[in-house]
Amino acid sequence: MTATESLYSTLRRGELDFFVSVPCKLLADLIAKVETDSEVIYTPVSRKEEGVGMACGAHFAGRHAALIMQNSGFGNCANAILSLLNYYRIPVVFIVSHRGSRGEPIEAQHMMGAAVADLLKVLDVDVLNVPEPEMLALVQPAIEQARQARRSLALLLPFSFWAAN
Amino acid sequence: MRRYEALQEIMKAITDEPVVCNLGHPAQELFAVRDRPQNFYMLGSMGLASSIAHGLALCRSGKVVAIDGDASVTMNLGGFATIGHTRPKNLVQIIIDNGANGSTGFQPSFTAGNLRLDQIARAAGITRVTVVTAQKDVAPTVAAALGADQGPSVIVIRTEVGMPDNIAVIPLGAIEIRDRFVRSLGGQAGRAT
Repeated sequence: MTATESLYSTLRRGELDFFVSVPCKLLADLIAKVETDSEVIYTPVSRKEEGVGMACGAHFAGRHAALIMQNSGFGNCANAILSLLNYYRIPVVFIVSHRGSRGEPIEAQHMMGAAVADLLKVLDVDVLNVPEPEMLALVQPAIEQARQARRSLALLLPFSFWAAN
Repeated sequence: MRRYEALQEIMKAITDEPVVCNLGHPAQELFAVRDRPQNFYMLGSMGLASSIAHGLALCRSGKVVAIDGDASVTMNLGGFATIGHTRPKNLVQIIIDNGANGSTGFQPSFTAGNLRLDQIARAAGITRVTVVTAQKDVAPTVAAALGADQGPSVIVIRTEVGMPDNIAVIPLGAIEIRDRFVRSLGGQAGRAT
């Protein structure tokens, strides 16, 4: 099984059934998988902040919502996380390629890559770093725990995770 | 017709549909016109009324209404792109266009100049787009959108600037707004609480 296949089956075991995405090269296979899964609702979105709003609406309908994006997206949706998700206590799972992590070829990505951990702390979003597919066993319990606590959770997936693809 | 009168007319046409309402004075006025559990009042996240309604619309069969403002829509123009892509038949986006940022001191907005949101909606692939300028046409236009088999619908209501001077802050907390909204949908958000 590739890293993407292991990840997606883990996310589905975590009962995630509503996905929106903004693309990243590292996430291309994952987005292709979710696109073709008839058991989930999926659409690409124009911008991460819009995706946060849509995930919120899906949550109101009883869905378990997730947003697939690069870490740079947190800069794009900070206000929506604080004044919508956190204020109304709406749990959303962020499935995040950690650009700027070791192996990053694009220098400009290093800025947000280095900032994302502190940014998530300020945004009061729980974080699970998943540097290799072997650590996916921690993902389903983390999703369930965050859901119970009505907190949002970011799964940070650096280049080392995707090396197994 | 000001936004307040537009909201009164809109609510004549609404029966049991969930309504996601833009933050600030629009939400406060809607609360004054007709509070109901099916109203989700935004308290922050400006621009996302249509996105919250869009996510909800993709997950249920009945109509879902967003009450939006022109400056809020301008902040999230990409929302048109995504709605024009998924084209949920059950989504009705009502934009109250007063040409101003009403909650922050009525600074002129872009629709007071060259911006035409109805044209952007059409260009995004939303085909059921109506512009309303007369107060008497508001309720019938909303009712027609709620009864239509086709969708999504965008209704732009052009209004004057201004509001009544006795509008109060909504006396509900975020969690209360959320919980009664979710209960009104007949479910339990996220199932596990």
